Amino acid sequence: MNITAQSLITSLTEILGSFAFLGPELMLALFFLLIVALDLFKSKLIKAALPWVALSGILISLISQIYFLNNNQAKQAKLFFSGLLITDGLALYAGLLFSVAGILTIVLSVLSKQLQLKFSGRGEYYAYILVLLAGLNLMAKSVNLLMLFVALELVSIGSYLLTTAIKRQQDAMESGLKYILYGTLASGVMLYGMSFLYGFGGSLSFLDTAFWANLSRLDSPFFLVIFLLTFAGFLFKIAAAPFHFWAPDVYEGAPTPIVAFFATAPKIAGFVVIIRFLLQIKNNLATTLQDDVMLLVGGISLLSLVIGNFTALWQSRARRLLAYSSVAHAGFLLAALAALATNSIEAVLFYLSVLLFMNFGIFLLVQVFEERLQIFDIKGLAGQGKTYPLLGVLAIIILISLTGLPPTAGFTSKLLLFTNIWQNYSATGNQLLLTLLLVGLLLTGVAFFYYIRIPYFLFFKRNLNPEKKVVLGREDIVLAFISFPLLLFFFQPAWLTELIRQVVLYSK
Amino acid sequence: MDYILSSLIFIPLLAVLIILCLPKHFTQGIKLVALLATSLQLILSVWLYSAFDASATVQGYQFVQQLNWISLNLQSLGLLQIQYFVGVDGISLSMVLLTGLISVIGIISSWTISKNIKGYFALYLLLVGSVMGCFLALDFFLFYLFFEFMLLPMYFLIGIWGGPRREYAAIKFFIYTLIGSLLILIVMIGLYTSAFDPAATAVRANLAPAGQVVSAEVVAEVQRQVAAGTLTGASIVHTFSIPDMQQAANFIPGSILNILSEKQLWDIPVRYLAFLLLFIGFAIKLPVVPVHTWLPDAHVEAPTPISVLLASLLLKVGGYGLFRIVYPVFPEAAAYYAYFVGLVGVLSIIYGAMCALAMADLKKLIAYSSVSHMGFVLLGLASLTSEGTNGAMYQMFSHGLISAMLFIITGVIYDRSGSRMIDNFRGLAFSMPAFTALVVVAFFASLGLPGFSGFIAELLVLLGAFSSSAVSGMLPRWLAIVATGGLLLGAAYYLWALQRMFFGKHWVHPELKGEPVMTDLTKREYLMLVPLAILVLIFGLFPSLLLNKISPDINYFLQSVLQNR
Repeated sequence: MNITAQSLITSLTEILGSFAFLGPELMLALFFLLIVALDLFKSKLIKAALPWVALSGILISLISQIYFLNNNQAKQAKLFFSGLLITDGLALYAGLLFSVAGILTIVLSVLSKQLQLKFSGRGEYYAYILVLLAGLNLMAKSVNLLMLFVALELVSIGSYLLTTAIKRQQDAMESGLKYILYGTLASGVMLYGMSFLYGFGGSLSFLDTAFWANLSRLDSPFFLVIFLLTFAGFLFKIAAAPFHFWAPDVYEGAPTPIVAFFATAPKIAGFVVIIRFLLQIKNNLATTLQDDVMLLVGGISLLSLVIGNFTALWQSRARRLLAYSSVAHAGFLLAALAALATNSIEAVLFYLSVLLFMNFGIFLLVQVFEERLQIFDIKGLAGQGKTYPLLGVLAIIILISLTGLPPTAGFTSKLLLFTNIWQNYSATGNQLLLTLLLVGLLLTGVAFFYYIRIPYFLFFKRNLNPEKKVVLGREDIVLAFISFPLLLFFFQPAWLTELIRQVVLYSK
Repeated sequence: MDYILSSLIFIPLLAVLIILCLPKHFTQGIKLVALLATSLQLILSVWLYSAFDASATVQGYQFVQQLNWISLNLQSLGLLQIQYFVGVDGISLSMVLLTGLISVIGIISSWTISKNIKGYFALYLLLVGSVMGCFLALDFFLFYLFFEFMLLPMYFLIGIWGGPRREYAAIKFFIYTLIGSLLILIVMIGLYTSAFDPAATAVRANLAPAGQVVSAEVVAEVQRQVAAGTLTGASIVHTFSIPDMQQAANFIPGSILNILSEKQLWDIPVRYLAFLLLFIGFAIKLPVVPVHTWLPDAHVEAPTPISVLLASLLLKVGGYGLFRIVYPVFPEAAAYYAYFVGLVGVLSIIYGAMCALAMADLKKLIAYSSVSHMGFVLLGLASLTSEGTNGAMYQMFSHGLISAMLFIITGVIYDRSGSRMIDNFRGLAFSMPAFTALVVVAFFASLGLPGFSGFIAELLVLLGAFSSSAVSGMLPRWLAIVATGGLLLGAAYYLWALQRMFFGKHWVHPELKGEPVMTDLTKREYLMLVPLAILVLIFGLFPSLLLNKISPDINYFLQSVLQNR
């Protein structure tokens, strides 16, 4: 190939200019290196400062995200790095959520007793979180199959390492191994699907209309197979059935702050990628194939809803219960996306934002109960609500929100989601959407049945061996802070929806 | 007095905050705050009752307060608007009065609660405030919010302060009601995506200036434009307002619940399905056979005051929902399913009474009699006649008073002996004469003896049911005839229980704990039972006291249902 000097110079300038859009990721990378360097020192003072260094790194990246969001000139979708990445409302909003998730993860880690103990590689732990965040940001910005794969692998490898952060724990190792096996399998399958996409589409960029025009010529069953293979990787990240098998084990074995992070951030990133794909499919793919995609997404949603909710019913440990409930949440979100309509993005983003606070709230509770009170299964919670009334009331708020009952933001998010499905159903008359709506609503009743078991044990059962009351100062305050948005966004949802609306306006 | 309705709702909620701030051991103070708050609520509701203008010139809602609360921009789909919208009319007036009254009685009955007093009274007041909110809300979302808000306090009140099987009963109560409210939620979503607020739409589309009352002409113009399809999309304001949903002109053309779009699902009109979902949702609360099975468990396990609230107020929310939302919003479906509704009503009457006849536990007997009596509400409503609907509303009020008495009576026996089994007692009239007199009043009022409020209500309902086939053509005569059998069964189970427990030689089962002494009523118990007995008599002798206030609005409700069917 002949590359003229002129075109080389233009692409070099383009690449140099592109770095401006990579601010948040560069910050995270910089602080990653800083933490690795600081971790070399043996001084206790420096070791103790590591979480705060990581926290400030995330804060700086958050500020740069907010800067991009507020900058009026930046309010349009822009491709950079010769079309590998995009900066648009969707990516920036997701970045915002990742940063909040990162901050809460660090806060939970600081509160965690398990992580305060000396263990080898404590610095690495915080460094990995930053890498993971950078990977997630890149994943949300990718519009190129190859770039997407690289970003996804960055996230995956970071996740494997964090799962086994506390190496002395037997079950951590087991769950880490399971995670790696499932994860690499999913990645491999996804890569296989992507190779088909590249082969038939003739391009790596999935914003390319020619790419979809080529794919439109494929036969329906064959396209569906390719589609499912490719989506395996994303569905794995959002823990949708039947790609959810890793979730219960990882949730059980990994450190609690990391589990809260896994239940939230990769899920958001996965959904951003799925939204990008589905929007392109909606706009550019042949309509007969679109119907198949709808059926497939709807089917996966249905499967996730049913498997998630019904399996959660039989769990006796909070972590496993939450793992299956997280599968169910993925099902709810996919149900809204099954319509392939642009108007579902707002509802999905609102749901994800609320889910973030709910997840960190509930996992902080799990952490408090496990580490401070030595309670590991739900039955052990008996009577603790009376000993710790504030904790109990906050637990009720969070669980009510997870179920989706008023007066919490969980209700508002479910209301918006179901409204959206209903609207798309009345617009298209598609029976699949109606089925999803009805199944989703009825399973909310089932969901309530397993969530309510926690307050049920907290308040109704008697504590048979009362122990000395542990003072929970910091945990109570942090938990109150996390639960506050759940009430706020019920009474003032417009504050969040307005932001999301503006953000969606310049998304691709 | 613009804020009277809001004060009715928020006084108990404010008292919750005060109680939460009080120290745990200051039990007298907590009780006094609760008593004060509910008494204030009672005074306000009595004032509201007297100030309510029932002359025919005033139609619609009074003491209205309407504020914008949540607005969500749905872009091309318009604006979603949730209002804080409260108001009172003849339908809600009697329920508000009942709530004010029963809350005070409940507090007096709760005076002997000894376990975790602070939590108990906080939850109690939260419950009372939510019930009041339910009866006053005119915005579906607000109604639903209060409707859901009743669940949690009730769940904890049964689950913590209840009897031996309280946990099972609490969960069962919650699951049943939650399923009901999910069914309601489905229809609520459908309704608000279909309906719009013409006044707010006029302002949003710049057809009327903001901040002023929108004139009827402009409203009609907006409705015309929307129907014609010239006003669409982003300028439409979706609403949860129940009065707006009652007008067919306020539905967007082509939307799923618009009567003109005639959408069908599985060959049934969608509006009929929506009616059925709502009906089942409220029927669970009412409760109606066969979805009544949570009620006996909840009643038996709940402490006495909570049973009183459950029977007197919470069941009424189900009936009230039918009056307020289901029938006016889906009149044609209501007319179509009148036969079905009447049939389940009669089924409840007969089945409930037969179950009551078979019960060995006095509280269970009364719980099943509630099922039977609430069947009359359905029958009266289904008849769609003036007598029937007025009777249904009267039955809700009257049953509220009588069932409160009945549950307090079981509480009196249980407090003394720790048992409620009918077979454990005989000849109580000898040791508790005053109590027996009040029991006779309650039992006879409940079985529908003339002179008591239950008689008026059931008479009106049966009159309506009999005349229905001739007047509105809704119910066949045989339903009314069978329902009359329910009165007979009612007489049977009450008189039989009376005979077994109170007459004959005095005897109490010797194996009951601590060899109970069946002393007569205490002052506190007089304070609860006597006012209720007097009210039951007053409303039995002078039905016009209530009917004058409520019937203009009920007749208006009936007219609008019959016109739009």
